[in-house]
Amino acid sequence: MSIWNYVVTAHKPTAVFHSCVGNFTSPQDLNLIIAKCTRIEIHLLTPQGLQPMLDVPIYGRIATVELFRPHGEAQDFLFIATERYKFCVLQWDPETSELITRAMGDVSDRIGRPSDNGQIGIIDPDCRLIGLHLYDGLFKVIPFDSRGQLKEAFNIRLEELQVLDIKFLYGCPKPTIVVLYQDNKDARHVKTYEVALKDKDFVEGPWSQNNLDNGAEILIPVPPPLCGVLIIGEETIVYCSANAFKAIPIKQSNTRAYGRIDPDGSRYLLGDITGLLSLLVITHEREKVTGLKIETLGETSIPSTISYLDNAFVYIGSSVGDSQLIKLNLQPDARGSYVEVLERYVNLGPIVDLCVVDLERQGQGQVVTCSGAFKDGSLRIVRNGIGINEQASVELQGIKGMWSLRSSTDDPFDTFLVVSFISETRILAMNLEDELEETEIEGFNSQVQTLFCHDAIHNQLVQVTSSTVRLVSSTTRELRHEWHAPSGYSVNVATANATQVLLATGGGHLVYLEIGDGILTEIKHAQLDNEISCLDINPIGENPNYSHLAVVGMWTDISVKIFSLPDLNLITQEHLGGEIIPRSVLLCTFEGISYLLCALGDGHLINFLLNTSTGELADRKKVSLGTQPITLRTFSSKSATHVFAASDRPTVIYSSNKKLLYSNVNLKEVSHMCPFNSAAFPDSLAIAKEGELTIGTIDDIQKLHIRSIPLGEHARRICHQEQSRTFGIICLKYNQTSTEESEMHFVRLLDDQTFECVSSCQLDAFEHACSIISCSFSDDNNVYYCVGTAYVLPEESEPTKGRILVFIVEDGKLQLIAEKETKGAVYSLNAFNGKLLAAINQKIQLYKWMLRDDGTRELQSECGHHGHILALYVQTRGDFIIVGDLMKSISLLIYKHEEGAIEERARDYNANWMSAVEILDDDIYLGAENYYNLFTVRKNSEGATDEERGRLEVVGEYHLGEFVNRFRHGSLVMRLPDSEVGQIPTVIFGTINGVIGVIASLPHEQYVFLEKLQSNLRKVIKGVGGLSHEQWRSFNSEKRQVDARNFLDGDLIESFLDLNRSKMDEISKAMSVSVEELCKRVEELTRLH
Amino acid sequence: MEGSSSHSSDANPSPSAALEFLSNLPSRGLFSSTVISSNPGGMRVYICDHDSCPPEDQYIKTNQQNILIRSLMLNKHKGDSGSKEGTESSRKRAGEKIIDTRASAKRTNGQVNSRQEGSNSQTSTRERDLQSLTVERLRALLKAKGLPPKGKKDELIARLRNANG
Repeated sequence: MSIWNYVVTAHKPTAVFHSCVGNFTSPQDLNLIIAKCTRIEIHLLTPQGLQPMLDVPIYGRIATVELFRPHGEAQDFLFIATERYKFCVLQWDPETSELITRAMGDVSDRIGRPSDNGQIGIIDPDCRLIGLHLYDGLFKVIPFDSRGQLKEAFNIRLEELQVLDIKFLYGCPKPTIVVLYQDNKDARHVKTYEVALKDKDFVEGPWSQNNLDNGAEILIPVPPPLCGVLIIGEETIVYCSANAFKAIPIKQSNTRAYGRIDPDGSRYLLGDITGLLSLLVITHEREKVTGLKIETLGETSIPSTISYLDNAFVYIGSSVGDSQLIKLNLQPDARGSYVEVLERYVNLGPIVDLCVVDLERQGQGQVVTCSGAFKDGSLRIVRNGIGINEQASVELQGIKGMWSLRSSTDDPFDTFLVVSFISETRILAMNLEDELEETEIEGFNSQVQTLFCHDAIHNQLVQVTSSTVRLVSSTTRELRHEWHAPSGYSVNVATANATQVLLATGGGHLVYLEIGDGILTEIKHAQLDNEISCLDINPIGENPNYSHLAVVGMWTDISVKIFSLPDLNLITQEHLGGEIIPRSVLLCTFEGISYLLCALGDGHLINFLLNTSTGELADRKKVSLGTQPITLRTFSSKSATHVFAASDRPTVIYSSNKKLLYSNVNLKEVSHMCPFNSAAFPDSLAIAKEGELTIGTIDDIQKLHIRSIPLGEHARRICHQEQSRTFGIICLKYNQTSTEESEMHFVRLLDDQTFECVSSCQLDAFEHACSIISCSFSDDNNVYYCVGTAYVLPEESEPTKGRILVFIVEDGKLQLIAEKETKGAVYSLNAFNGKLLAAINQKIQLYKWMLRDDGTRELQSECGHHGHILALYVQTRGDFIIVGDLMKSISLLIYKHEEGAIEERARDYNANWMSAVEILDDDIYLGAENYYNLFTVRKNSEGATDEERGRLEVVGEYHLGEFVNRFRHGSLVMRLPDSEVGQIPTVIFGTINGVIGVIASLPHEQYVFLEKLQSNLRKVIKGVGGLSHEQWRSFNSEKRQVDARNFLDGDLIESFLDLNRSKMDEISKAMSVSVEELCKRVEELTRLH
Repeated sequence: MEGSSSHSSDANPSPSAALEFLSNLPSRGLFSSTVISSNPGGMRVYICDHDSCPPEDQYIKTNQQNILIRSLMLNKHKGDSGSKEGTESSRKRAGEKIIDTRASAKRTNGQVNSRQEGSNSQTSTRERDLQSLTVERLRALLKAKGLPPKGKKDELIARLRNANG
């Protein structure tokens, strides 16, 4: 790989931290706003449910999101503050459908200790000011003036240093905050302050309350008429106001989120860390609070935010499990739960570990992640492309074509499947037992190859063979009429729809027939200059049975021609260029836009925008789908039309946001496909591949497919063992009984096809599993799972004891073969030169696999290397070892065989707190650190002095804005050896927010080109809310801030394809490169993920 | 915690209870269809290709004035006695030593700060004021009061305090 890297998101963040409901997109619209770390999603609430509207990327990690209504405005504004101390106020312009920046600013202070409990951003309910708590001991105020404009911000000193929560109180004449804080004796109190805007200071508030529940963490301000505040603790819930105090004990629980139900604030939903959803009710007589009541409703994902939507529907946003849409039912279900989960929104976060495997052995990687936490822990299998769920298959060699036919024009289902071979045609049909069996349509000629079949009007079927066109009744199955090709000519290609037939014979003759009731009429004949290679009359106009256009692909001059029907006048002619003839053409409509697709014999596809009234072609684009000739067919799935391109790399072509997308199908080679929607196999496809006919349904048409394997416990590490076809995972299970919390750690063995747990091994009390690998040793043919553990004792700050356990898989069971005690936590294990390399606290230790006299094996320590704070992440390549330290960045060690010693070769002297490392190539190493940055360092073997050689030079820096937990070499997409992209090496990473990203090393020339494109795109694509892209991507840690270098933001570059034409032209002009060329190069990059 | 905990939550709530509280959930007619559908995925990604700068006066910055200076100014405006003393002492000090203005301002702040912290106790403030003066200055004060100017600093302060009563 190289130092010129391209970072792109393959799967966007899915962990939800904030959500709110308000009238954002118009005074009448009710919107749900969801914040997913670096993205804001806007949904519309409709009678039919949630309707997604917009996904807005934000150049920052979102710390807080609030909707508010300034004075005199008809709709809500959105306030967003980012973790890097920027904020913006956004307004939706319904006319232009654009986000307008109403205000933005920098709220950082030069001096100040960032608060440990996270940033707080709140808005006064009467919209007099915005309050921010970003640094300990400071409360920042951004006041509004009377016109709703923001004024200069100022700080107020806040005496309370350990603030847990701050909220504005409702119904106060002066803006009043209530502060929940912890004193230096760890006791928790609340206090109120009035904000004196004129004096820019606090005034003691109306009340305070000392000595609350020790677990009190959340404040809920209660709106008028009740006012006051609810304080949610672990054992009590308290209502507090100037003149009332009510408390109730609750079953011990750790509340994570709340959602207000009623506008008057009398009912709230509370969600705790076990996913239990409760209803909190403030009982009151008029405006006097009389008490509190709490009821358990049921179970949801562990929430980080709860938003009551409408009509008993609630959105549960989660950062450690899937987010959900739930309904609160008046009647409990069989399990006594009032909660009905209607929809789950997949969330991969937090991705703690991942591995890249090729389970189906198709040369395409799949990512298996350890996702979620606590009870929502799961494995997720993420793969690119669309799967076919096989339902039936038969062995059939030499299929030349397939068509499905109905038994009558009105029948919603297909009955017959016509399969054509080189010298015969067979007809399959569903029998009464719902089995596919061979049948006959008497009117068809089954002694020859069929060129085309179609349903026709008036309960008829059409069969085209090389000599005739036969019109057959679908009820009597008898021949009604036949058209014969002129003697001496044979039909080469043909196509038809319900009322028309178009065929071509040798010599460039084009014949057009129309279908009547029992009659075929030859309407028109045309002689073309060259032979015809393919044709299509798929109706895309208003009449679903009749096409006004015919498209024809030509031999020799390599062109497509468009003719009008019925008079066969040439309208348009387009030369394709090159020497490869078109093999399949198709007229189709996606999202109301008509296209002409033209597939070539070498696996390329050219698409044009088609003007259906004039027949003009525009906006030509060429993509490579495979290497073999492509056959195009339409099919529908979930009431949308898609195109299936059958070739050596079958692809589904679909449209999203009026853009054509290509998603590969997870099948090896498909020669023909036809939709087969029968009663027994609804919405299915018949697929001919490698001597086999398969009937199956197709997955949802999406780019990435995610399958969830819920574990009910938190998986922490995963690895795959090819030989035993198993996954080894280590996980922990939380047990919460009424009084005590305990956790148990397991090593589990999962089958790699079914993902069932086939064997597990529980570790000792206090023993945590830290690492797992599958490896083999020199002089031993077996493959083992090695697990590193640590004894985490409550009285120790760092573990001082651990174990390395060596397991073998026998009869699908884990058998412990050997164990070795270590003097610390085994944070990482690597197979290394037929030995085992372990990172144990400060030390890197190498173990040999020794045969004892009695024939058993043991791990024996060979050598080690001290000198790390905590060696957390280790990667190896040859004799080189890369160590990612807790706080000392990356160091490079080398193992010397002769001396049997490990020595340090070089290190990066920056103080980076590492979260993952990977070796890109012999000289370049990649690291991710605690402040969400990526960087690369380079070994400097040519340095003149020892000092220079001992220094890893930082060559690339970039702010990813995501916490990376794991890098793995590999790719999510099938690598075609012939394409340019196929040569680009990639690394996959997984983050806490559920992002799966790809880092691709580019050749220098391409990097320079794309860097230029990126800087031009920055001028055209502005940051939402006025946030700067350059600043966002600059490497930023506690001590250092430098511009990004040698990394490119693929997300920005690929958004070029979503620009409108005029903006594309603007960039093309600035770059002096044609728009087509830019599109082609960017489209190529999108195929990396 | 004490309080009116009239109702304790049962481990197993009786169904009827929750039923009562779950009735009349607010509804505005949304989510009313019998078939609730949602189509995730197909969400348009927003591309901001227009100028996203805020109106000129809505680029918000933080007031850079030090919180303590601000409160000092505020007090000065109000003209309360505490601030007078503060300025007085600073004037005195300025007269005594030629120090650059910045440092002086800082020290003044320090004094005001200490004054605020201990504002509830006037005597301690006085003592701190005295503590902050140099021995020479203390001696001058003693001379002015006709007291003997000899001894250690603590003795001088004690003498002065006694004299002030």
